[in-house]
Amino acid sequence: MRLLTLLPVVLLAAFSMPTLAEHTSNWAVLVSTSRFWFNYRHLANVLSLYRTVKRLGIPDSQIILMLPDDMACNPRNTFPGSVFNDKNRLLDLYDDDSKGGQGMGGIEVDYRGYEVTVENFIRLLTDRWSEDYPRSKRLMTDERSNILIYMTGHGGNEFLKFQDSEEISAFDLADAFEQMWEKKRYHELLFMIDTCQANTMYTKMYSSAIIATGSSEIDQSSYSHHADQDVGVAVIDRYTYYNLEFLETEVTSASSKKTLGDLFDSYDEVKIHSKAGVRYDLFEGGELEVRKRLVMDFFGNVQNVELDAANTGVVANEIRWRQELEELGKMIEFAKKAGNHTDASPIQPGPDYAEAAVRSAESAETIKLNGAAEVKQDNTWGKRLVGAGALLGCLGVWAAGSWFEGK
Amino acid sequence: MLVFLLLPLSLLLVSWAEASAASSVSDYHERLLLRPLPQSALLASFNFRSNASSSSFEQQNFRYFPRSLGQILQHAHTKELHLRFSLGRWDAENWGARPWGRAREGGTGVELWAWVEADTEEAANARWLTLTNALSGLFCASLNFIDSTRTIRPVMTFEPEGTHSNASMRNLHLLHGTLPHEVVCTENLTPFLKLLPCKGKAGISSLLDGHKLFDANWQTMAVDVKPVCPEDGTECILQIEQTVDMVLDIERSKRPRDNPMPRPIPTEDLVCDNSKPYHGGDSCFPLDRTSEMSWSLNKVFGRPLKGSCPLTTEDGRDSETVCINVPHEREVQERTAADLVKKEHEDGYLRCYKISPNLDFDLILPEQYLSSNLPLSHPSLHAFRSITGHGQERGGVRAILTNPSLTSPVRFVYLESLPWFMKPYLHTLRATISSSTAPLPDQYLEPQQAPNTADPIKQMYYRPAVDRHRGTHLELLLELPPASTLTLTYDFEKSLLRYTEYPPDANRGFDVAPAVIRLLSSSSSSSSSNGSSLLGASEYLRTTSLLLPLPTPDFSMPYNVIILTSTVMALAFGSIFNILVRRFVAADEAPGYGLVSLKGRIWALAQRLKARLRGKGAKDE
Repeated sequence: MRLLTLLPVVLLAAFSMPTLAEHTSNWAVLVSTSRFWFNYRHLANVLSLYRTVKRLGIPDSQIILMLPDDMACNPRNTFPGSVFNDKNRLLDLYDDDSKGGQGMGGIEVDYRGYEVTVENFIRLLTDRWSEDYPRSKRLMTDERSNILIYMTGHGGNEFLKFQDSEEISAFDLADAFEQMWEKKRYHELLFMIDTCQANTMYTKMYSSAIIATGSSEIDQSSYSHHADQDVGVAVIDRYTYYNLEFLETEVTSASSKKTLGDLFDSYDEVKIHSKAGVRYDLFEGGELEVRKRLVMDFFGNVQNVELDAANTGVVANEIRWRQELEELGKMIEFAKKAGNHTDASPIQPGPDYAEAAVRSAESAETIKLNGAAEVKQDNTWGKRLVGAGALLGCLGVWAAGSWFEGK
Repeated sequence: MLVFLLLPLSLLLVSWAEASAASSVSDYHERLLLRPLPQSALLASFNFRSNASSSSFEQQNFRYFPRSLGQILQHAHTKELHLRFSLGRWDAENWGARPWGRAREGGTGVELWAWVEADTEEAANARWLTLTNALSGLFCASLNFIDSTRTIRPVMTFEPEGTHSNASMRNLHLLHGTLPHEVVCTENLTPFLKLLPCKGKAGISSLLDGHKLFDANWQTMAVDVKPVCPEDGTECILQIEQTVDMVLDIERSKRPRDNPMPRPIPTEDLVCDNSKPYHGGDSCFPLDRTSEMSWSLNKVFGRPLKGSCPLTTEDGRDSETVCINVPHEREVQERTAADLVKKEHEDGYLRCYKISPNLDFDLILPEQYLSSNLPLSHPSLHAFRSITGHGQERGGVRAILTNPSLTSPVRFVYLESLPWFMKPYLHTLRATISSSTAPLPDQYLEPQQAPNTADPIKQMYYRPAVDRHRGTHLELLLELPPASTLTLTYDFEKSLLRYTEYPPDANRGFDVAPAVIRLLSSSSSSSSSNGSSLLGASEYLRTTSLLLPLPTPDFSMPYNVIILTSTVMALAFGSIFNILVRRFVAADEAPGYGLVSLKGRIWALAQRLKARLRGKGAKDE
């Protein structure tokens, strides 16, 4: 009897599991948008997040790091090759060698200096690049990727400045996310922003499956946490500092079961000095579902293997499996036949296995890059004589013309 | 049971046999050369070299050759590649000539040149673009900014180091690009170390630490890939050589990492000049240090050398991994738990150590007074380049090249690659030679006019700039008689950029790539007069980069203009619209307009108010 009453519950659980479609990869886009030394803290913010996501298992190849200026090797830096986010300077964010040599295995910056522009950021999100663009600088996500997007810099009501020369508006960002959603470039997206009036940046978003959080409300500034006297500038912002405090103390391992609800509850207006906001309504299930999501779903690297047997039924799945196997067999046959033609030598990559694309159509417009021409420095008297002769000739023609006219 | 035991053993044997067979064609070798320089500086030159046979490279069978780079080279059809990341300035007056015959050094920032195989120029350009993009992803540098405006095709300056057959040479295109503004930092070292077989975990590369490398007075990282064909006709190999050279300030690098603030020397440690009249208990004129500083590998690099990389060749001179270049009398102590093989070369000036894997190794040099110094080799040319002139429109460049030798002339190629917004006037190019009384370049100001007025410019290649498409390329073959100074000057015009073309830090100025100088050995100059075969061991020299201030607009100005014009337009439109739609009539024609009607209106209003008040009162009742 008791078993019978339990059965529906078990069944329900079994059927609801696959509908909670899980993600299979984790990506992080970490963007600082400020140049110049006095914005040290923005780079430290981003690097702290970089360190955290790397600590929780996201590999460098799935982290897009955008640093508009160089703080570590800046001549003003007393600590060359280091960036700190705390005045105790226990943790070097740039190249952590605390664990006997290579703690984090160095750092890889994907976009730096002048490459950090609004255009490149939007291109990155929407993946619109030229053919030659390197893979390490692309966001190669799919519909099963959870993305963490963290931005920091100077902003205002519905805009965020990039390098003090251009800005991205909340509308641009919302449209870029919508394009991502339409292109099935994410499964769930956590957008975090630490800037003045940050919460205005996510007000215009309208795409599904986005969780957004910001550091301050409209007309509120975001403040730095503290300064290091030896570095000479503020080293971290408050909102990021308390986010990190939570992540460092509560999410200590990849098996952590802390939820986003726990994270959002840890935001304390007294400590942050501004009212941090969260937007739940874009997410399916609203606040309840968002708060149940694990922190590790966005900050860590979870690789779930999904078996889609439950959706299609075992029989259908087996049929598909057989079909795939048959197709594979055909491919092997084909490859064998092709192999026979080029006798049984070891696999020789053909000359065109990795042919670089050669664009020829544009040549009409491009200015030829051919080599420099030699400048002959011969005796210039000959040239001068020719010039004088030409001038005299012109004079003669003119004189003749005026003479004929006078006649 | 026996089978089970034998299987791993045989596997082991097979794999060992394979390894030994492979090592004959592809080997790996690394060496660290330490040379103390005057003024408590230390030159550390790291060299990593590995080979891959060309057949294994074609089949993508990479052993020591880094796969990531190999695939890029194949994809972009690049046969020879040279990439440089540099920072700081080499102090030639104090430190003498540069290491590695100066061939492993780049200009400030990033420099890249490569021989790309292609049938046409367009194809070569396209592949060059592919190459720069791919390398930008690999080395975390903005190499993708090397576009057509920063690319040139040098004629005389560079020659392939590797062996290329004459047939393949016809299809090879040399392209050269520079990024003088690019910062070099830890993120460039990380991928550099990843290319090494031991990945910076063992061997001399375990000493490479971003904190010390980027604190150096001068440092350069180089990646060179070239095909090498032995003369005996055996199979060609593809060689990758990675070098890191840095000049460390011993005093600065010995400071503790967590407390790098410079502190004054304690009074009791000060060496004072007693001959000064004011010398006393509270005043001191400090003397220069006369003894050699004490240092050790551990202290200078901040981490221990973790044994040798197990992949290095085991015998021969290549197995000597750490070398130190000091005079005979300098005391060097070795610290390691393992046996040590020590060898002295070249009259004892060079001491080399063969170290064993997995065991930490350290060299300790105590403080010592030396009677003799290491002989420094002197550079055969000094080069200085600066911007002259003032104002926002024009400027000039002056390069001062001094031949310090009193006996032999110098023949060299001078290459300038200028950005498109800096337009030189070629007719203002002047090269004047003055014989300097002193070989030191800082005394160029009082030269006497040389008697020989022969033109020092022997050959000149020039390609003018095209706005926004390509930069200027100027290449000169110059000859400089002994003990003389050549002053090369030309004027240029600064162009105005479009509003969106300015970078975010436009007021900092724009970097101009360093000039590349290739010194030709004097023997080759006599044998060949045409520029095509300037063979011979060539040394390279680079000037510092220039900072060019361009006229920058007030970047808030467009907003002011927009606001002002919209105000003016609104005013104009408003008044014109008003005039157009209004009907003008005479005052007496207007119905109900005038004093009488005004009185009537006020009366009517008062009546209405009264009525409303009365109405309210009625309701109350």
